Amino acid sequence: MTTCPLVVAPPETTANVTFDKTMDDRIGEVMRRYPTRRAALLPVLWLCQERFGWISPGVISAVAERLGDSPAFVDGVVSFYTMYHTSPPARYVLQVCTTLSCSVCGGRELVEHLKAKLGVGFGEKTPDGSFQLVGVQCLGACGNAPVIQVNDDYYENLTPQRLDAMLDELREGR
Amino acid sequence: MPKLTIDGREVEVAARTNLIEAARAAGIAIPYFCYHPYMTVVGQCRICMVEIEGQPRLALGCATSATDGMVVKAETSERAKEAREAVMEFLLANHPLDCPVCDQAGECLLQDHSMREQRGTFTSHMAETRRTFPGYERRLLGPHIVQNQNRCIHCSRCIRFTSEISETAALTYKSRGNSMFIDTFSGEAFDDPMSACAADVCPVGALTVREFRFRKRAWKLRSTPSICPGCSIGCNIFIDHHEREVHRFTPRENPAINATWLCDYGRFLADSLNEQTYLYPQHRKAGRLVRAGWSEALAALALEVRAARPLRVVASANLSNEALFLARELFGHHLRGDLVVPVTTGEQRRMKNGRGEWLQATDPYPNSLGARRLGLNVVDGDGLSRFLYGGSGLTLILDAEAHPFLAGAEALQLLRVGATAVWLRREHPLAGVAGWLLPAASLASDEGTFTASTGAVQHFAAAFSPPGTVRRMPTGAMSPECPTIASPWGPPGEARPLWLVLTALARELGASNLDLASPAEVFTLMARTERAFAGLEWEPLGGLQRDESLRERQHVG
Ligand code: SF4
Ligand code: SF4
Ligand code: FES
Ligand code: FES
Repeated sequence: MTTCPLVVAPPETTANVTFDKTMDDRIGEVMRRYPTRRAALLPVLWLCQERFGWISPGVISAVAERLGDSPAFVDGVVSFYTMYHTSPPARYVLQVCTTLSCSVCGGRELVEHLKAKLGVGFGEKTPDGSFQLVGVQCLGACGNAPVIQVNDDYYENLTPQRLDAMLDELREGR
Repeated sequence: MPKLTIDGREVEVAARTNLIEAARAAGIAIPYFCYHPYMTVVGQCRICMVEIEGQPRLALGCATSATDGMVVKAETSERAKEAREAVMEFLLANHPLDCPVCDQAGECLLQDHSMREQRGTFTSHMAETRRTFPGYERRLLGPHIVQNQNRCIHCSRCIRFTSEISETAALTYKSRGNSMFIDTFSGEAFDDPMSACAADVCPVGALTVREFRFRKRAWKLRSTPSICPGCSIGCNIFIDHHEREVHRFTPRENPAINATWLCDYGRFLADSLNEQTYLYPQHRKAGRLVRAGWSEALAALALEVRAARPLRVVASANLSNEALFLARELFGHHLRGDLVVPVTTGEQRRMKNGRGEWLQATDPYPNSLGARRLGLNVVDGDGLSRFLYGGSGLTLILDAEAHPFLAGAEALQLLRVGATAVWLRREHPLAGVAGWLLPAASLASDEGTFTASTGAVQHFAAAFSPPGTVRRMPTGAMSPECPTIASPWGPPGEARPLWLVLTALARELGASNLDLASPAEVFTLMARTERAFAGLEWEPLGGLQRDESLRERQHVG
């Protein structure tokens, strides 16, 4: 199994967003599942993140308009959740668990290793846009600590060696 | 109507009243930060906790409705006090405590509460450094609002204001937890038409009004109840002033009109009240203006108006009912002159009343309904130009700012022909053609009533006496004009409110029924003779005075 890289829509598309027919239909479908328009906000934002790669101000305006809320409100919601990207993400977002179980099972070493190897800190991207390092809280897979979530996939029972192999594999997979 | 006991006092309140309001009705002040009587209750700050007999947990005063037979211990409850102390510790853990340099000091709910509830046991366990928001300490959030995020206590009042009252939903929380801050969408300017109200509702100094910041310490200000002169909606205001200078308007609670809000346009008219270019009556002699005294001016005017054929009077919808009534009686009835009130259409203004309904106006005058109800001839710009057209005689213009037409070339052309007397306060083109220039007093030194577009007759009081009047000092000393700038007797000058000038002129002209001593007397006469004012009395029109009610002090500011 290889993890699929994230694809970011070109800046022209995310600056001024208008939903095409497919997107609009999908949003409409999500909205039908909820009692109020506001309740559909999170899943609609997910759809947009899937489509555009990140939640740009343009996406926020378009979503706000579609759901009849103010852009400021949607912006606030987006900023509350760390899993919405508010800037274009790297192809692979490495979400390293920094909570207790992982930390005592070698998670800290993984973090040190990654920082040294990629030359970036938490929240930063490598200059070539391949990797982005993010520190996260418990991923709920403590039994197989330490854990890194890459985009949507979990990589468990990691050691620095396995991590290197994994990074190489991802690099090649591009 | 539930009847309950709070701290041993029995009160009966309307159903669904919360405990904060019920306690207020009983004269007990439960502290609050996030509660606001005109916005949704969110129960966010936890400072309003009270003890209710029979309930093991403390309850929120803002989010608990009074029920029949409830026994509440609010300010007498040791448990509640202790809990509130803990809340304060949390709120103050990250609060900068920069009261000496904070412009909110003196009208800050957090400071007031600290001062009131400070006890010997109050300590902080905070060992870490304070959380700060670098770059957000003096940020211009919009044209009128300065943000200092370090001081924010996350009460969400400003956010609720924009979503529930002004309906722009322009403000929001960004991020979460400890790092949560107030922001607009994507760096947009916060230029809501009522934006300064966000600073009013902010209980602390996190949002302050740019125009007022550091102008005057809050405790130096005196507040005089008045009416916004900006449009016909007639929002209730306080004129906040110190040493004869108006520093700001703040909203005065009136559920039927402006709840506790003001629009930015109206609010920032405050400074215009300080403009007083013309201080003395002046007379044009051989093309030059010469200073005259009022007695000379009145005597000369009396002669001129009596002789005038025809006598034309341009009144104004900016004038009080009292001044309009006096003008109608004196110039219209007594002297048989013609009188018009010119009006125009202005920008649209909107205001939310206490029931959440919008009031709208495109009428830029505070008293055009008053003029209509007094049966005056209300005309538009064309009507005014026709009125001024043709003929010599004498034209009195009781307010140079009555209509923009008066500042135009056409009006000046028309008025150059005959004799003209103009009342004015600020620079105005009419000053170039008038035979008599008479200095008018600003709203801050006038007293009377306006009729709002809702039909309410509303009183405005004089914040300070007009320039140059002799004022009795607390020591009993008296002083005439005194040229020192910061003199407690005020600047020299002889601008006088119109009602005073008209009653004096009535005396000169022998219209003894109009020789009245105060706006109150004029009003009483009006209430006796005018149908539109029948049954009204002067006294109760005063409205809320600051300090009179705790409620008002607590949430305006
Ligand atoms: S800025 Fe003021 S009104 Fe807004 S949440 Fe903070 S303390 Fe409350
Ligand atoms: S709505 Fe009209 S009366 Fe009210 S504050 Fe604005 S200008 Fe003044
Ligand atoms: S602590 Fe890392 S997955 Fe739970
Ligand atoms: S006033 Fe009740 S919780 Fe804030």
